[in-house]
Amino acid sequence: MYSLSISTSGKYISVALFSDKLISSSSVLAENGNTNLLMNSIDELTLKSNIKKSDINVIYLDTGPGFYTSLRIGLAVSQGICATLGIPLISVNGLDALAFAAHTGHRKICSIIDIKRDEYAFCTYKPVPGGVVRESEPEVLNENTLKQKLNEDNEKKLIVGDWNELNEKIIGDSSYLKFGSPEYVSAEHIYNVGKEIYKNSDFPNFNEVRISYMREPDISFSNKSLESEINFHD
Amino acid sequence: MSKDKVILGFETSCDETAIAIMRGEELLVNTISSQVDIHEKFGGVVPEVASRAHAEMIRNIFHSSLNSANLQISDIDSVATTDGPGLVGSLVVGYNFAKSIAWSIDKPLYTVDHMVGHLAAPLIENPNMEPPFLTLLVSGGHTQIVLVEKWGDYKLMGTTIDDAAGEAFDKLSRFCGFGFPGGPAIQRIAESGNPSKINLPRPKTKHEYNYSFSGLKTAATNFLKNIDPDDKITRADFAASYQEAIVDSLMINFTKAVKETGVKNISGGGGVMANSRLREKMNILANDNNLEIFLPSPRLSTDNAAMICVAAQNDLITNDLKENDVRLSSIIK
Ligand SMILES: [Zn+2]
Repeated sequence: MYSLSISTSGKYISVALFSDKLISSSSVLAENGNTNLLMNSIDELTLKSNIKKSDINVIYLDTGPGFYTSLRIGLAVSQGICATLGIPLISVNGLDALAFAAHTGHRKICSIIDIKRDEYAFCTYKPVPGGVVRESEPEVLNENTLKQKLNEDNEKKLIVGDWNELNEKIIGDSSYLKFGSPEYVSAEHIYNVGKEIYKNSDFPNFNEVRISYMREPDISFSNKSLESEINFHD
Repeated sequence: MSKDKVILGFETSCDETAIAIMRGEELLVNTISSQVDIHEKFGGVVPEVASRAHAEMIRNIFHSSLNSANLQISDIDSVATTDGPGLVGSLVVGYNFAKSIAWSIDKPLYTVDHMVGHLAAPLIENPNMEPPFLTLLVSGGHTQIVLVEKWGDYKLMGTTIDDAAGEAFDKLSRFCGFGFPGGPAIQRIAESGNPSKINLPRPKTKHEYNYSFSGLKTAATNFLKNIDPDDKITRADFAASYQEAIVDSLMINFTKAVKETGVKNISGGGGVMANSRLREKMNILANDNNLEIFLPSPRLSTDNAAMICVAAQNDLITNDLKENDVRLSSIIK
């Protein structure tokens, strides 16, 4: 029995196959708009590992936050496979996966994921034996509010996720901030959180899995009515 | 493709999540889940809203389609999907869902150009239709006269240089507060109106088969802003006159193209081809000139997945995309 883990939320299309342990994985840079990368990666991985499709018995999916179109590709592919093979789909939040993979014994963990348009998904965690617990609910911050969050107190923090391309101004005088790995969500990170969720049998049917967009859709044109006062006879 | 094989088709290029299943020539299910209610309040299709809706609905529509066809996944012999043109965020949902199903059951995936789907749509009800034929494809996204000399050989004779005909309906409907989508709303209101009450232009372009609707739109809004109360213009009269202007414009160029090419068969497709006045005029054209007409019924004129199935069954697939992107523009150029 094998599990397939998928993350498409960021710069990489990351796929991994596990039995009890990692069998094989691949991460490719998500070229803008290449919609075939994920299926191709899954196909190559199963072929290379000589695994029958019907031997996959669960899928772990990064359901965001992250880049919308890529997240939808991940969801469509996962649900297509789950619907066909009749296997469960375990949804994993990318912020949680980053924090879970962070290495610290005492620092507060801040997970950051770029969701484009100069906005970031953000969540803080406390390290506990065997894992992490959320200190806050995930929220969307812009560069200013992110700067405030990171510098609001002098508590020692470990920043993981998409910090690398953040403007230095945001980071500020960072003697209490430490920047660490992971810097992006991978299929392995997703698997490590997902397998705990699967073990506890506390997950919805694959039909109910939703993407964590974290903000309302961008309405590219004005939604105010263009309706005019017209002097119709009726 | 063998004629008794079961093919599962997907079409998600705009705001309809559509799935169809055919067994040979028999259409078993044709599910179209429209997002009209969602987009109505914006007066148009919002791409990000459409993509989200596709991603949330597709698996349920897939299950209900299989159920209504009384089939198991293992009964499917092949899968077909639109690979463009359309809204990228919407296309990728149907395309990837279809691809992963085909992959999981080890069956072939056929990719079909959306416009070729419209060209092939008459085959659903008339499997014996053969080229050459001339077709008028009109919707919110396209307004094209295409000469199909033989399958695979498509000549674009005319296209719009600004708005599509469906957009011309939508924009004025929005301006008047008639509702969305504009075509059906205007058609409904036009029923009791006088189509010759208001004199609106039938725009021409330099190229004899091309269309332009922005001038008509401007003329119509200017007229509405300056209505003379003494003229007693009703909503119905305006809707009927505006509809007539669009339908006339469409027919003038199409009729010219029919005469020029000398085709004996005509056809049509796209959401605007569901308009009853346009269908009436297409039938009159056919009658007056002794042409065979193959208009898909209204439900098969608007976007649907049965047209994707039938295109794949007849080997009208565009290509295997391999490493490429979802196509953004039609192969009809
Ligand atoms: Zn269409």
